[in-house]
Amino acid sequence: MTGVAGIWGRLWAIALNTFREAARIRVLYGVLVLVFGANAFAIVLGEMSIHEQARVARDVGLAGISLFGSLTAIFLGVALLYAEVQKRTVHAIVSKPIERWEFVLGKYLGIATTLTVLVALFTVAMVLLLLYQGVTVSGAVGKAVVLAWMEVLTVAAIAVFFSSFSTPFLSGIFALGLFVIGRVTPDMKAALGSEEASATIKGVLSVVLEVVPDLHLFAISGRTLDGQHVTVHGDFVSWGYVATASGYGLLWIAGLLALAMVIFQRRDFA
Amino acid sequence: MSEPSDTDAVISVEDLAKTYRTPFRRRRVEALRGVTFQVRRGETFGFLGPNGAGKTTTIRVLMGLIGATAGTARILGQPVPSRAARQRLGFLPEQPYFYDYLTVPELLDLAGRLFGLPAAERRKRADALIEKVGLARARTQPLKKFSKGMLQRAGLAQALINDPDLVVFDEPMSGLDPIGRKEVRDLIHELRDAGKTVFFSSHILSDVESVSDRVAIVMRGKIEAVGSPRELAGRTLLGVDVTLRIADPRGAAAEEIAARGDRVRRGDQELSFTLAADADVDEVLAFARERGAKVVAVSPRHDTLEDLFMSRALASDGGRAAGAEVQDGGHLR
Ligand SMILES: Nc1ncnc2c1ncn2[C@@H]1O[C@H](COP(=O)(O)OP(=O)(O)O)[C@@H](O)[C@H]1O
Ligand SMILES: [Mg+2]
Repeated sequence: MTGVAGIWGRLWAIALNTFREAARIRVLYGVLVLVFGANAFAIVLGEMSIHEQARVARDVGLAGISLFGSLTAIFLGVALLYAEVQKRTVHAIVSKPIERWEFVLGKYLGIATTLTVLVALFTVAMVLLLLYQGVTVSGAVGKAVVLAWMEVLTVAAIAVFFSSFSTPFLSGIFALGLFVIGRVTPDMKAALGSEEASATIKGVLSVVLEVVPDLHLFAISGRTLDGQHVTVHGDFVSWGYVATASGYGLLWIAGLLALAMVIFQRRDFA
Repeated sequence: MSEPSDTDAVISVEDLAKTYRTPFRRRRVEALRGVTFQVRRGETFGFLGPNGAGKTTTIRVLMGLIGATAGTARILGQPVPSRAARQRLGFLPEQPYFYDYLTVPELLDLAGRLFGLPAAERRKRADALIEKVGLARARTQPLKKFSKGMLQRAGLAQALINDPDLVVFDEPMSGLDPIGRKEVRDLIHELRDAGKTVFFSSHILSDVESVSDRVAIVMRGKIEAVGSPRELAGRTLLGVDVTLRIADPRGAAAEEIAARGDRVRRGDQELSFTLAADADVDEVLAFARERGAKVVAVSPRHDTLEDLFMSRALASDGGRAAGAEVQDGGHLR
């Protein structure tokens, strides 16, 4: 079968199977319990005013989504594509009428679906806690969740990209490195402008800044944007900002997956 | 899709070479060194060779899993890898490993989706195939609970979900007990009768000999011989086996008769021996009758495919001789 319907059918087949595979990974349930536990712990930190409790609940909830979501994205991204080659399950798949790029994309879509379910569950935990505390859930929280979700999907693409040519261990290190650096790009830019940094360091930094996705754009709460302090507890970014940042994330995802597809296309499965 | 008009080749491999490089480029393995052969439409073609000969490598090139270093490979008239050709292809990988969390119906459903089969058709074919390969009682078990033989059956089923024109099986009988081997042979016969082209590899001669229309013998990355099992073997008369009934197979008369041949075997009132290919059989039989023996059987002894296989195996390698790994019955390890 050719055409869009055919492609979609094959992508869906791979994505569904990948979701099934991920749903069997026990660690994910551990992460869920951990994040739910952290949210619950925020309640126990009583002895605070309602205002402070709400702050803690939002901070813990959002940090849980973006941190544990990203770590899970790295874990799934580096493991699931590599395992197909390592265990040779890929042999019975790519000898069927599916293109290799469809396989890579289907794999990513399955991982992204898994992560989306996870982010949704984290969000439910956070919202339940906020409601329990009698705090109305603001639009800012919704925007922050969408941003964190986009970050998680971008990190997953980074991990899949590395695992298209590298072992899970190395891919994990690379992806984690990019995640950390991507979060501190503003500080690197600041260092670039400072007097103290040496020319070598500045050279390295400017190259790194060119090739690293600006993940801090997705974790903007508490930072300064266009000279204004933005926080999820008060004045936050506009939906326009969320759309722009999401577009930025999608561009990175598309670019990284395109590279992964090209690399995967040329690989020997022996 | 256009079919080649000048040839009925379903698989066509020419001068195929593959050199594996280890990641650090220190070691090179020349797995294929100029492999050429054709598989015709509707035939069952056995790809025979000892372990490490290059069978799996050839099949991986044909399946588009690895790229050849040199040469060309076409399946169903298309250069590999071709999605159109794969639509009409069924493949059982060597030591198949599938998603072990799936059940057989789920595995077949996934395979069916990749061929673009509608849901109802997928279910119908899966049910029929599960029945055919004898896994009906294991329907609800995940593959990780399967034995080697059951996995092989699951692999055969997923290879047939698209009712392919060409099936490629890499070592379909390996790891199976004698009954399992026979069932695979029967399946191959059945596919052949249904007009399908079957290409399968094995390192066990008897498995290939009995089902193949033609056989290619591959050794150390090269094709040593191609032909029907009869063409490849049985061309030279090696000798004549004679069996006689005689009152005392250890008596003086028996000794005199037995002295005319070699490989003498004695049984209860029975004496057997082998005459040289150029012996005067009539004269020896008359000689035996004069001494009270009755002729029970006279049969020519031909070169067998096994003899050919063994002699090629020994000749093609002086060092890591494939022949040195030969076990009884032509089983190579
Ligand atoms: N991925 C690989 N890397 C390096 N060498 C390999 C690889 N796969 C196979 N080989 C070597 O190539 C040769 C042919 O192997 P193979 O095609 O698997 O043989 P067969 O299937 O006939 O047993 C062997 O010497 C084997 O060790
Ligand atoms: Mg092999």
